[in-house]
Amino acid sequence: MGNQKARAIASVLIVVLALVLIVTGVVGMSRRATATGEEILTNMRTRAVLIATGEGAVESYVAIAADQAREAAQAAGASMSEIREAVAAAEEEARNNSSANLLDYATADTTGLDAALSTLRAALMDYRAEEAAAEAAYVEQMQATAAPEETEVDTSQLTSEADLEAMLAEEEEVEVDMSGFVATERMNELRAIADEKYAGVCTELMALYDTLDQAALDTLEGTIFDIVSQSGDDFAREYDRYNAAGGAAALSNRFGAWVIRYGDDLVYVGVGLILAALVVFFYPTLVKKLGVPRMIIGLFFVLLCVVALIYDLSLSGLMSNTLVRMGMNSILVLAMAPGIQCGIGLNLGLPIGIVGGLIGGLLAIEWQIGGWLGFVFACLVGMAISAVSGALYGMLLNRLKGSEMSVTTYVGFSIVSLMCIAWLVLPFNSLELRWPLGTGLRNTIVMSDATSFGHILDNFLSFSIGGFTVPTGLLLFMALCCYLVWLFMRSRTGVAMMAVGNNRRFAEATGVNVDRMRIIGTMISTMLGAVGILVYSQSYGFMQLYTAPRQMGFVAASAILIGGATTSRCKISHVLIGTFLFQGVLTLGMPVANALVPQSTISETMRILISNGIILYALTKSGGEQRA
Amino acid sequence: MRKDFRTLMRDNAVTIMFVVLCLVAFFLSGQSLGYVAYELFGRLSRNAFIVLALIIPIIAGMGINFAITIGAMAAQIAALWVTEWQIPGLGGFAVAALMTVPIAALFGFLIGKLLNRMKGQEMIGGLILGYFANGLYQLLFLFIFGNLIPLHTDGLVIKGSTGVANTIDLNRIQAALDGIWRLDFNTAFYVCMALAAVWFIVRLAMKKTSAKSGGISLGVLAAVVLIYQIPAIKAGFATLRIPVVTFLVVGLLCLFNVAIMRTRLGQQFRAVGQNMTVANAAGINVDRVRVIAIMISTVFAGLGQLIFVQNFGLFQTYGAHEQVGLYAGAAILVGGASIVRATNGQALLGCILFHTLFIVAPLAGTNLLGDAAIGEYFRVFISYGVIALALVLHAWRGRSEKRDLRALSEKE
Repeated sequence: MGNQKARAIASVLIVVLALVLIVTGVVGMSRRATATGEEILTNMRTRAVLIATGEGAVESYVAIAADQAREAAQAAGASMSEIREAVAAAEEEARNNSSANLLDYATADTTGLDAALSTLRAALMDYRAEEAAAEAAYVEQMQATAAPEETEVDTSQLTSEADLEAMLAEEEEVEVDMSGFVATERMNELRAIADEKYAGVCTELMALYDTLDQAALDTLEGTIFDIVSQSGDDFAREYDRYNAAGGAAALSNRFGAWVIRYGDDLVYVGVGLILAALVVFFYPTLVKKLGVPRMIIGLFFVLLCVVALIYDLSLSGLMSNTLVRMGMNSILVLAMAPGIQCGIGLNLGLPIGIVGGLIGGLLAIEWQIGGWLGFVFACLVGMAISAVSGALYGMLLNRLKGSEMSVTTYVGFSIVSLMCIAWLVLPFNSLELRWPLGTGLRNTIVMSDATSFGHILDNFLSFSIGGFTVPTGLLLFMALCCYLVWLFMRSRTGVAMMAVGNNRRFAEATGVNVDRMRIIGTMISTMLGAVGILVYSQSYGFMQLYTAPRQMGFVAASAILIGGATTSRCKISHVLIGTFLFQGVLTLGMPVANALVPQSTISETMRILISNGIILYALTKSGGEQRA
Repeated sequence: MRKDFRTLMRDNAVTIMFVVLCLVAFFLSGQSLGYVAYELFGRLSRNAFIVLALIIPIIAGMGINFAITIGAMAAQIAALWVTEWQIPGLGGFAVAALMTVPIAALFGFLIGKLLNRMKGQEMIGGLILGYFANGLYQLLFLFIFGNLIPLHTDGLVIKGSTGVANTIDLNRIQAALDGIWRLDFNTAFYVCMALAAVWFIVRLAMKKTSAKSGGISLGVLAAVVLIYQIPAIKAGFATLRIPVVTFLVVGLLCLFNVAIMRTRLGQQFRAVGQNMTVANAAGINVDRVRVIAIMISTVFAGLGQLIFVQNFGLFQTYGAHEQVGLYAGAAILVGGASIVRATNGQALLGCILFHTLFIVAPLAGTNLLGDAAIGEYFRVFISYGVIALALVLHAWRGRSEKRDLRALSEKE
């Protein structure tokens, strides 16, 4: 009881804190567009410009002093080293003098400069908008002309998943060579206006810095333009830029400005905290319903969302990626379901089905069957192969009741390494599949959109709303497969199969043919594995051979376990929830990890920990049951 | 006699198959005996210890302890710090060994606790636990060592990247153990043979063995010595130099494995391995015994990995431990062990056969099919396949035994 009270108090405290943060954040954000926000930015902008020009002024002053010293020394007929010494001494002196004599920022009257900068900024913003529009038009035009040219991808050097991942990200934005871009007339006009305004700023600046000359100001023009305005400016970006240029010193109320700048982040943290408070409050119920690891992963997902928002990563883009990866992996995860339901537990021998699917895909490419026909052909061939291997595999498993998991793992591993040899010796001829020199098939086979069935599901009826792309076809296919499996589970055979999975002895007693049901379940699981890898590959754009399928069984198993399945019970909802959570954590994890620790592989480490941790957890839960 | 032969064939199918495979691959590879012997002794000195570390958990009924990769990780942590402290030679090796023992013991304790919660699934649990620990290991080496805990020795941390470098150079303790005392093969061979002869004679004299089997043993010894006299064979082994101390350490571990089975603890291992329920009823603390078995195995695996890396003089920071469990497990099964029975002899024989195949398979693949990669994949396939086969055979046998029992009871 006392425990519950403590939890209630803690959650109330967290909620209060969260509300304070949210209110502060909302107030802060609402003040961005008001006079206060404007004033903050104006002050910072002026200070940033003053600091930048101040440095420029010092440099020009120093340069003049150095020149004078050199001339004087040369006139006196000094040797080279003496000249150098004299110049260095003069530079040093000039630097010290000017730094001391430079403007006192706090007392200087900057009202004129403020106004001049504001007009400059307005003019520059017009210019930048025009520039962006013109560039976009140019890129579009260039892409239209360059599109038929298929970019040849050299996959020979890509080995790790990370490389492919990086390539996948790049693929979206085709680089357009901007060297041919010429400024439009309208841009030139706007630029001239901006230059005019800059002249006004120069006058103000020269009034403040007496050492500053026009030449120095001309060289500073680019710097000042970049400080004052950049394309895509909003409050946060402007604030950050001025802050980086030292503008924060001009603020009288730094904390207030900070609240306004980070108002949105405060709101995000507040929302996150409210969720945390809910978790604290309903902790026992949640643990009972979800189990500790699932709750941790769920919370981790929310945390990643909040951090992604704080780092201003595009959450809609990330969510759209998550959706793609969910669809891409869902069939493989779905393949776990019949295995669990028919009582063989986690089908870690999934690579057996995957290999069948890969052969189907390879045949489609070899015989150049592209498009929908190719996909259907590959699926049918894959399912046919997997039906046979699945049946054999099921018969093997029937002789090993009770120790399926370790055997399936090693049988799967053996098949994958046996297929490694097969990939080397199978008589495929297409150069898309083979190495041009040397023997065997390539490690990663590109599935082009044009000649093969790359992205065929992803692109079917896909649409995007503001950066959020919905891969309609992929999701429809996922839904279709899930529906079919769901339907099967409600058929006579399906019900009998579930009975076997739930309680073998009971099913046996009621006259169900246990061995036959287990073979059917294993076959369906293996066949879904074949379809799953094809869906995965078409979405990925690559087929991965050799050792790549080895760990896929583990990934699929961990996803369904995260969704709430155990080694003996699962539902379709577990498949969907699990795939979404697992892929969501991975998709969000990579950019967030890179934002926190640049250039790190921490997201890969995270994948290993989550994926294997959840399987271990499931094993500790199942071990006890089996002994009992 | 005929039935004996058939049982022998059936019970040792894997080993016999492997002997044939090794012979075929050896002839296909076209390598000289000398080369194979040279490679084999190198590999034996590196790997035998770690294979022997698998025996106790098998006896204690926990199957092949694939979590020995975690022991290897403990050794690599120790090796990293010895490199950081720049302790050279045997001293460095000793410090690393002293560090490995407590770290590996702690890891082993945790592994044992976890495996106790998944009784009956220890092997798959150990395998996945190894993967999981690999994630923690990466976390440790990429983000803690070199960042939170700074490292100062050159080459341990690469500037501009996070974490410990991909390869750790152990040249300070390279061959620290191997190099203490090396004997040429000729001398070592005769010394071994003489010791074996003395051993058999003593046992014969003490009437521990029958005259017949003693005679056979001595005869085999004599035959081996005679075969060795063939000049071609003698020449093949002539260039070998045996790292005596390393093999002595391996021998000590064999003695330990034998000796511990004569103690109370050893009997408890056996009791727990045969039947946990009965052992529990007999007043044995089953969980505790299992934890001890895993701890011993993990510590020995750590020391074994230390022997391995000192032989090489460097190790791949993020990869050296990954295949340890697979190769050691496959090796002991090849020697004729099952997942419930294993002896020193099986471990050593398996080690010899498995590594012979490892040496000759790529070359055989090149000669047979014109591609070394085939041989490479073949030996990986063999490693996994042997384990899968052993598991299948075991499950099969268990079932048929049960069926026999049931049939027997029904008859009664």
